[in-house]
Amino acid sequence: MDKEQVEQLKIQMKQWVNEAEKFINDIPPVQLYVAVGVVLSTLILLLIIRLFKGTASNTIVLTGLSGSGKTYLFYQLRDGSAHQGTVTSMEPNEGSFILHSEEDKKGKLKPVHVVDVPGHSRLRPKLDDFLPQAAGVVFVVDSVEFLPNCRPASEYLYEILTKASVVKKKVPVLLLCNKVDKVTAHTTEFIRKQLEKEIDKLRTSRTAVSDADISNEYTLGVPGEPFAFSQCHNRVIVAEASGLTGEISQLEKFIRENVKP
Amino acid sequence: MLEQLLIFTRGGLILWTCKELGNALRGSPIDTLIRSCLLEERSGAASFNYDVPGAAYTLKWTFHNDLGLVFVAVYQKILHLLYVDELLSMVKQEFSEIYDPKRTVYNEFDNVFQQLRKEAEARAEEMKKSKQVSKPVNHNLGKKQGQVQKGIMDGGNQKKSGAESGNDGGDGDKVNSRAMENGNGRSKVSKGNGVVQANGKENRSSDSGAFDVNKLQKLRAKGGKKTDTIVKDSKAEPTKKAKKNRVWDDSPKESKLDFTDPMCENANGNTAVVEAVQGESMMDKEEIVSSDSETEEDEEPGKDSKVEAKKKGWFSSMFQSIAGKANLDKADLEPALKALKDRLMTKNVAEEIAEKLCESVAASLEGKKLGSFTRISSTVQAAMEEALVRILTPKRSIDILRDVHAAKEQGKPYVVVFVGVNGVGKSTNLAKVAYWLQQHKVNVMMAACDTFRSGAVEQLRTHARRLQVPIFEKGYEKDPAIVAKEAIQEANRNGSDVVLVDTAGRMQDNEPLMRALSKLIYVNSPDLILFVGEALVGNDAVDQLSKFNQKLGDLSPSPNPRLIDGILLTKFDTIDDKVGAALSMVYISGAPVMFVGCGQSYTDLKKLNVKSIVKTLLK
Repeated sequence: MDKEQVEQLKIQMKQWVNEAEKFINDIPPVQLYVAVGVVLSTLILLLIIRLFKGTASNTIVLTGLSGSGKTYLFYQLRDGSAHQGTVTSMEPNEGSFILHSEEDKKGKLKPVHVVDVPGHSRLRPKLDDFLPQAAGVVFVVDSVEFLPNCRPASEYLYEILTKASVVKKKVPVLLLCNKVDKVTAHTTEFIRKQLEKEIDKLRTSRTAVSDADISNEYTLGVPGEPFAFSQCHNRVIVAEASGLTGEISQLEKFIRENVKP
Repeated sequence: MLEQLLIFTRGGLILWTCKELGNALRGSPIDTLIRSCLLEERSGAASFNYDVPGAAYTLKWTFHNDLGLVFVAVYQKILHLLYVDELLSMVKQEFSEIYDPKRTVYNEFDNVFQQLRKEAEARAEEMKKSKQVSKPVNHNLGKKQGQVQKGIMDGGNQKKSGAESGNDGGDGDKVNSRAMENGNGRSKVSKGNGVVQANGKENRSSDSGAFDVNKLQKLRAKGGKKTDTIVKDSKAEPTKKAKKNRVWDDSPKESKLDFTDPMCENANGNTAVVEAVQGESMMDKEEIVSSDSETEEDEEPGKDSKVEAKKKGWFSSMFQSIAGKANLDKADLEPALKALKDRLMTKNVAEEIAEKLCESVAASLEGKKLGSFTRISSTVQAAMEEALVRILTPKRSIDILRDVHAAKEQGKPYVVVFVGVNGVGKSTNLAKVAYWLQQHKVNVMMAACDTFRSGAVEQLRTHARRLQVPIFEKGYEKDPAIVAKEAIQEANRNGSDVVLVDTAGRMQDNEPLMRALSKLIYVNSPDLILFVGEALVGNDAVDQLSKFNQKLGDLSPSPNPRLIDGILLTKFDTIDDKVGAALSMVYISGAPVMFVGCGQSYTDLKKLNVKSIVKTLLK
């Protein structure tokens, strides 16, 4: 029964092939060449467009510890307000949009692709999906609750600063001190110094002492000198913002510096 | 009364809150729920209790996976609201109809919600009335509800016995609160007197370490009897193996493992003991994982689909795989999940854990659209893989060297206490850790606080001499807590950076010994409590860890008890692909696996490779 069916199918296939051959033979060869040429050229064009797009990345990655206000900033950038507030993210927020503050501007603007990666340590592996195409990384720090979170924050920052995808492409990093509207907020200068100090310690514990139990092969700063962000291969700048009051002009400036309109 | 009802996206944006309820919640129950429950793959549970001073809430939630929405209801813990589950599902249905990813404000939903709430309340009222007619039946209603939701259909007997014993010892108040807890109540019964106190503790611990004693209580009854036999079995195996002088492929051949040289014993210092240098500890070697298991992975789902094809017919399954199924429901997921659960269990994952994981994965997939050209089994597998990676990724930093340096700066020794049941290899792995630390230029001191088992101090002394590490010992029959304290003082004097405290092995049910341990921890407040567990255990892993954690919490004299911070998994070389214990232990305690012991020589200490473990588990 099966064999018969297969035989039948074979016969039918042969018929179809024959018909197709006939059809092709009927068409004049010039037409055929033109058709093939058109197909090839469109393919090449598409490839070029893809390549061109790939080189000029417009992705800005928002990272930082859980509770530092990344999602809030994400919606501030997109909509100009965070609506009814935010809770701890379980998934990354992603969006390609023109910044809210630039919506009134005339002329064509290039949209920015902003990704907000959750800060919960269990979700950190997700960061690796976005870092390779990042044009800029924003590391958000909670400047009110800074001291208790100083060590985990610097560990996370250290990880990012030694990632091959960041170092190789010299992706600029913005240390954004969030929540500066609060009275008890620490100054950006203080936060920068503390982070530098902590990273200096991390450097000794992770690179000098054990050279193989870390997966990143890039070392930070100049050996023998206390670490400073200015020693990084990539640009690291410090800025402040307040998601709650919508004071995010420095963040927007950073984004537009790295994603040209 | 309902305190609050929130609708938010998985990304974290709140879409709608009930304004008329509008009570400001004390603390941050929602964030705590997400961090210590939903992100820990515990979303298969029925409810979550949030306890801080001044606020006690119960939270219930439901997902709409296709749209990526989460619905959470918050109410006072002392209230027993029957209608919450129903209300949530109704809200979910209504809201998903008006939901639009681009919209962020849904003010008109206020009216709909009011309507729904009234309906639900009315229905609950009706239920209450009928309840008063037949009291004993409804007494169990709350519990049953929880149980059904969890999908645990077995254990009916236990439930009954739990209810009975509760009636025996309980005043009405207690019964009330039990019913409200929806199935978690059994824990209280077994605890008896310490009900109220223990409750607070449990929730605090679930806050910090994601250790949910409530749910684990069930295991006690089941696991208790099995415990002995399992441990006996597993003990028999390694002792046989330990006698053979094994040769490891990547370490130099060891001429002898017996370092108790009588020469050294007699001649105190005359014959210099050669310091043990066996090369780099395996902690420092990068493991190369071959990615050849891709082909193997594909085989398994192939089998599944064959079974499916037999049932549904070739054409319809083909069509489904091309078109993509509309929405996954529980029945679709069941066979794939069952296969996955069995596979996890063959890898030695504790049954309870496998069950809970599958529920959580089901909860995250239900209602999702199946993409075209994907099979259910592969979708489930991918979701499970993601969940496993998430669980095994350490939540706290496991960079001990960093912590050691931090302690050094403060001028204090870093104290590590090794705890565990008998014969899992505490002393051996303590020596390995000492060796590893020594390789990194850290001054180590050992403290022999196993003042119980004969020969324990001598064993540690042998290791200490071999590694040229100072040892603090006070002989036997001393209080280990005092010995540890003196050891730390001694370390302060002689400038040691790390004190490794060896304790006596103890069964998790041995109350006096557990009390001694919690005293040791309370008195010395170590920086790290390492639970040493062997990779051979199956279901007992859950029992061991949960009881250790619980006893440390219950028996501690301090109001903020310390729990286990990390896990050292031993005998990892003897288990082939049955790596399930790692998953069970991490899931149950929320603590990361910090070291893996994989042999007898000092270099056989590794870090856990999350990727390879996940790959092995799903193979």
